[in-house]
Amino acid sequence: MSKSVVLETRGLSKVFGGLVAVDRVDLAIETGEITAIIGPNGAGKTTLFNLITGVYPVSQGEMLFKGKLLNKVPPHKRAKLGIVRTFQHVHLFGNMTVLENVMTGQHPRSSYGFFEAALRLPKVHREEENITLKAMKYLNLVGLGTHVQQNALSLPLGQQKLLAIARALATEPQLILLDEPGAGLNILEKRELSDLVRRIREMGVTVVLVEHDMPLVMGLAEWVIVLDSGQKISEGTAAQVQKDRKVIAAYLGEEEV
Amino acid sequence: MLAKLKSKWYYSAFAVLLLLLVLLPFNWFLGHYTSLMIFIGISTMVTVGLCLLMGYTGQVSLGQAAFYGMGAYISAILSKSHGFNPWLAMLIAAAATGAFAYIIGYLIFRLRGNYLAMATLGLGLILYILFRQLGQFTGGPDGMAGIPYLSIGGLIFDTPFKRYFLVWFFCLAVLFISQNIVRSRTGRALRAVHGSEAAAESIGINVAQFKVKILVLSAVYASLAGSLFVHHLRFVSPQPFDFLASVVLVTMAVVGGLASIWGAIFGAATVRILSDELLLGFGEWDIAIYGLILMVVMIFMPEGLFVKIKEIFERWRLRYRRKGAET
Repeated sequence: MSKSVVLETRGLSKVFGGLVAVDRVDLAIETGEITAIIGPNGAGKTTLFNLITGVYPVSQGEMLFKGKLLNKVPPHKRAKLGIVRTFQHVHLFGNMTVLENVMTGQHPRSSYGFFEAALRLPKVHREEENITLKAMKYLNLVGLGTHVQQNALSLPLGQQKLLAIARALATEPQLILLDEPGAGLNILEKRELSDLVRRIREMGVTVVLVEHDMPLVMGLAEWVIVLDSGQKISEGTAAQVQKDRKVIAAYLGEEEV
Repeated sequence: MLAKLKSKWYYSAFAVLLLLLVLLPFNWFLGHYTSLMIFIGISTMVTVGLCLLMGYTGQVSLGQAAFYGMGAYISAILSKSHGFNPWLAMLIAAAATGAFAYIIGYLIFRLRGNYLAMATLGLGLILYILFRQLGQFTGGPDGMAGIPYLSIGGLIFDTPFKRYFLVWFFCLAVLFISQNIVRSRTGRALRAVHGSEAAAESIGINVAQFKVKILVLSAVYASLAGSLFVHHLRFVSPQPFDFLASVVLVTMAVVGGLASIWGAIFGAATVRILSDELLLGFGEWDIAIYGLILMVVMIFMPEGLFVKIKEIFERWRLRYRRKGAET
């Protein structure tokens, strides 16, 4: 009970037809930590993210965010609560510039709507200025401050992934879920990514990441959760998990680690 | 800073256009083209709505003429058959069309994917049949005549010259509002829906709600245009609101540039001039020519005529500047 839990799941399950993708998973993500969720392909990692962010409705069990039940909260309201994610396949807005992508991330932290926008009332100017400043702050944080007016998709993949993180951070989350942030990056980019994730944690944001790159996970994560076939089979520090026989059998044993 | 420069550019373009539009009807050259200009203004209003819906939000409507026709018929019936003040009739038409679009949108957007195109196609066909068949209200295929003029106090809009200003007042208001929306938090949210619904939802954008709202706005634009249309012609019949009309409206939006508010004027003007002036001799073949235009524009200038012209202008200016620097 020393640390507070930001996200908790109890018996969380997701069934697709006959397939149990997530099977009675209990999680307790601690505030301010970097947690990694690992597991072989099809273990249910991304499905777990989709449940937490509301892409899929939960089949059974419950999710609590800061003690409040999350199950029935519509997906678009979860960003306002403080939960945000990135995607394995980046999902940038290709019809916008780099800056506009991050500005869009400020959506839940700004309030003016159609009417104010249509007449360009003073509130619009005030909020737009704030939105632009915040967006620049997060762009600088990920090191893209000089690419502002470029189209988002003109960036190389490594920078696209950083941009997606900046966009997510612009929602000013308390919990950020990163879905395979390291996939497709070279060694240098991975090192930058690790630094960035640590900086995000220092900002007080809890980080949960799904990742296949074991050295990356082991270097970053303070807590590792292992899923296999939808079930949680182990958790602990990186060192503890690496020694767990169940984990070795299910996953690590099949790869050279 | 760049944003400021850009907004300066917009305002100066807006000012030039305004000046041009004010001076145009005083020119002897305009003459019988006043009526053409009125139709361009009316078409632009509908096209701008389509640009917001299709170009910015990525939702295709193949039945925009239905909303256009609703505005026209509600205005015509209320003002002529029931003696309503034409302005009140126009307001009621816009509100009713908006509410109708809201219901349609609410039903459609609960489904995922691009069902709007199919649903609006059906909607357009159904409303066209209703305009034709509800003879006791609409006058059937022959239409109804004798719709009153719009007026403000003692000023009756009884000449094309006066209606020109009326229509372009509305048209510029619609353009102004739309441009403001596009360059805002709301506009970014709309483009985000187009770019990636999953990502938009993940950063807190209520995707379904934005789709419904923009459909309603585009329907209200179309309805206002329809009302102006009947108070201009003082006559309404089903034919301008058939399926072909919806296709022509999409052509206007595509020619102007789907993701360009100001392009709507270019698109509406190009297609209007073609259909009202140049293609008159082609009879029923005109639909084939619209098809051809759609294809050519999509292949060679997918961002539209307006953007293409702007590009050429920019290139020319750069070259000119470079030459100036060399000498």
